Amino acid sequence: MRIEGEYLFGGPRQAVWELVRDPDVLAMALPGTQSLQQVSESEYEGTMNVRVGPVAGVFAGRIVISDEVPPESLTLTVEGKGAPGFATGVGHVRLSEQGDGTTLMNYDGEVQIGGKLASVGQRLIDTASRSIIGQGLESLNGVLLARMEAGVKGVEVEYTPPSETQFARGVARDMAKEMFASPQARWALVAIVAAVAMVIGFVLGRQRCCETSPMDKCADLTGNE
Amino acid sequence: MTKKRKYVGQRMTRNEDPRLLTGKALFVDDVDLPGMLHAAFLRSDYAHARLRSIDVSAARQRPGVVAVYTAEEMGKDWQHGPPLVIPPPTLKGVLFHTRTQVPLVKDKVRISGEPLAVVIATSRYIAEDALDDIVIDVEPLGAVIDLEKALEPGAPLVHDDLGSNLAAHLIQDKGDYEAAKAKADLVILRRIVIDRGAAGAMENRGLVTSWDSKSQQLTIWDTTQAPIPVRNGLAAMFGLSANQVRVIAPFVGGGFGPKIMMYYPEEMVLTWATLQLGRPIKWIEDRRENFLAMNQERGQIHDAEIALERDGRILGMSHAFLHDTGAYDPYGLTVPLNTQSHAMSAYDVPNYHSELKVVFTNRPIVSPVRGAGRPQGIFLMERLLDLAAKELGIDPLEIRRRNLIPPDAFPYEHKIIDQAFAPLIFDSGNYQDTLDKAAAMIGYEKFVKKDQPRLRAEGKHVGIGIVAFVETTGVGPYEGARVTIETSGKVSAATGVGTQGQGHFTSFAQIIADQVGVDPRDVRLVSGDTSQFHWGTGTFASRGAVVAANAVHAAAAAVRGKILKLASKVLNAPEEELELADGRVRVAGTRDQSISLGELAVRANPLRGAVEPGTEPGLEATAYFGPQYGATANGSHAMILEVDPETMMVDVKRYVAVEDCGTVLNPLILEGQVHGGLALGLGNSYYEKLVYDENGQLLNASLADYLIPSATEVPRIEVGHEETPSPLNPLGTKGAGEAGTIPVPALFAQALENALYDHDLEILEMPLSPNRLFELLNDGRQK
Repeated sequence: MRIEGEYLFGGPRQAVWELVRDPDVLAMALPGTQSLQQVSESEYEGTMNVRVGPVAGVFAGRIVISDEVPPESLTLTVEGKGAPGFATGVGHVRLSEQGDGTTLMNYDGEVQIGGKLASVGQRLIDTASRSIIGQGLESLNGVLLARMEAGVKGVEVEYTPPSETQFARGVARDMAKEMFASPQARWALVAIVAAVAMVIGFVLGRQRCCETSPMDKCADLTGNE
Repeated sequence: MTKKRKYVGQRMTRNEDPRLLTGKALFVDDVDLPGMLHAAFLRSDYAHARLRSIDVSAARQRPGVVAVYTAEEMGKDWQHGPPLVIPPPTLKGVLFHTRTQVPLVKDKVRISGEPLAVVIATSRYIAEDALDDIVIDVEPLGAVIDLEKALEPGAPLVHDDLGSNLAAHLIQDKGDYEAAKAKADLVILRRIVIDRGAAGAMENRGLVTSWDSKSQQLTIWDTTQAPIPVRNGLAAMFGLSANQVRVIAPFVGGGFGPKIMMYYPEEMVLTWATLQLGRPIKWIEDRRENFLAMNQERGQIHDAEIALERDGRILGMSHAFLHDTGAYDPYGLTVPLNTQSHAMSAYDVPNYHSELKVVFTNRPIVSPVRGAGRPQGIFLMERLLDLAAKELGIDPLEIRRRNLIPPDAFPYEHKIIDQAFAPLIFDSGNYQDTLDKAAAMIGYEKFVKKDQPRLRAEGKHVGIGIVAFVETTGVGPYEGARVTIETSGKVSAATGVGTQGQGHFTSFAQIIADQVGVDPRDVRLVSGDTSQFHWGTGTFASRGAVVAANAVHAAAAAVRGKILKLASKVLNAPEEELELADGRVRVAGTRDQSISLGELAVRANPLRGAVEPGTEPGLEATAYFGPQYGATANGSHAMILEVDPETMMVDVKRYVAVEDCGTVLNPLILEGQVHGGLALGLGNSYYEKLVYDENGQLLNASLADYLIPSATEVPRIEVGHEETPSPLNPLGTKGAGEAGTIPVPALFAQALENALYDHDLEILEMPLSPNRLFELLNDGRQK
């Protein structure tokens, strides 16, 4: 499966590069990360809680950084496995100054997925991975902006990353948005929900019992006896 | 020796339905024993990997976990499953490598879903949680998925000791195809690709294994189609007497082929586990496991050609094909041999050449799924005929008429061998009548001449199709049955085959009722319980109505003989003057000279006095039946469909299925079989396809993504009957269980091409899908 995209950071390239190479920042930016340690100059090991649709569980993984050209580009090789399955992939990341103080990150790569993630999560993988990456980069950007502001003000960096629940909610929201991308689809969803609610209300209101009910307690379903 | 039949042939509702519909039928998951534990299997995510280590210590610590087993704990008891069907040495030039499945992976994983370990716990929830505690270390290997790449030098090997992924190689010849080709006016060559589908039964697999060490009895409830071989094999595997083992196949929610397998890893492991623990263990498969670990079928690639004369007469046919057998081949060559047996279909093909190569891949094991290789053969021939018809300008119905085996040519010998390694012989049939009937029922002429041109002028894409096919059925070796008249006057019977919805409880009762003169509702049949009957093979290859039914018939006839003999003495009248009806034996023409069957049964089993030497007690008989060779059924299906070339949605307007399965035991049950088979056939045509990626990962392992036809896709089916009784058995029956499935993809392809007449469309693959049709239409040009 191919993954590609871009993200605009609100800061200079050198600052973005330093963030990307900082394991503590990365661990914070991706909620669900339970641990992330640098085991050598270019290798990280960690565990992460993953939730994609009905599939959830802990992934243990390794990230190896190679082909480093600071602060321009690097290659990430990722290997993870756990109860939800396994994932291996290679990605290329490029950072380019935009001239106005912002930095554009371009990323592209190939991921192989197996296990439950592949067999049950297949249709959701695309959307979920885009959302996870997107939210992660947004978090990183949050840290970047907080650092820049702290640098200007000369105070401690104050940044609270989104909680795991907020993160998961964000992923779900993105997935729902993609599934109901067209306004017609969204209207259809609203109409169906409304219709179902009306039918239930109608049935409840009309429900009679006693003579026709096999139940001992004679109660109509609106709760009156 | 056919007497007047009162019940056989009658359209009776089923004996078993009141129980099934009111929840009073036992399925495996209903079994609940004191002290019962629950099992969960750790299955490999990787399709091809070396297992370096497996650490279950953490799982063992979890509260509620009673035991965790791996291949290591099984010790000497760990063994490969036995091969079920090996080609006999009599077959010349056959290359066959036997590689069978293992209970738990020891060194190498070969299928995604292969079990690595089993957890036995006090509940299934705890067992599944404990699976996450198990730490495995694997070294992933390249997966073997593409059939052609698998045979290239340097491909990863599924079985390292073999040196290649070629599992088998076999060539069959009839006549001389090359000579025929040289004389042909037209030769058509095409590549035809068929892909895997699942059986998709409503009930997944289930097992309860229970070893009682005090009574030294092993009882197993299993959703198997073959309880007797399972009992014999598991007893032998674990050093028990077959009489200590009872295998019960209760009501089973659909078999369709893959539930006959000796042995699934789970059957081996859980039997061993209960012997270790001395407690009952239950395992009910969930749907995802079923997709990964139950046998599948259909994957083949054919390079085929057909040689014809200008008037459409077939001179010969030839094909070389690759057959995907999965990671192991316990089921031998059954499926691809069926493909070869059916590649000539119902036609008189004087020359035939077939080269088969069976390939190991990192996918689940292939064993028969309803159709069992026959649909592929029929698809091949029907597609080639349709393409020939187009080129020669002959109507598809007409080209078939010109090639059908004529009614006076039976028994028709094909000079090749079939799945039973016996010469392929079609015993009887009238293929012309069957085809004509289907054509008449669907109104072929009128549709093609009047309705279709009118609808096309309105811009509709409606198409018609008609195909003919054969189905080899009723193979041996044998089955048996026992019939007993009880002192109540009712009848009890037992047979070894299991029942997964085929209606045996009714059709067999009808046979017995005709022989002994009772109401079929008073016949109580037990099937699939080895303690009640323990000789036989199982329910497969459309043989229940042929082999088991004839055994029932023979046993019932023997009981009739005993009734007449004893009643003649009791009523003091010669046997020829006795009639059996309404549960009584009556002297013809009288009213008082009679005795009820119940009373007669009492007399047949005295508590005092002496019996004559050679007498058997009671009114009971056991009989067996084994056919000389398998009877061949035939049929013809036709359909009219409309397709929307923008949404690719297909609407089947009419569907006609004409079936000749010889003597019909119960038309209602037969129609049920046709309907059910057809639903699967429709799935095989347009909705069901197991999609594997290049790493052997199944991408649609859920019913959300694997589309089984529902009530909105399956059309109303008009069933027609023809009857050419088989000379191979006293009842004259032929099998019909798979007939609904076999011709559907071929028919669907023809009708779809016919509907999309204004596109340059050739359908050379199955299954299609709306997406795939879209691709095909946009690759081709608009005519």
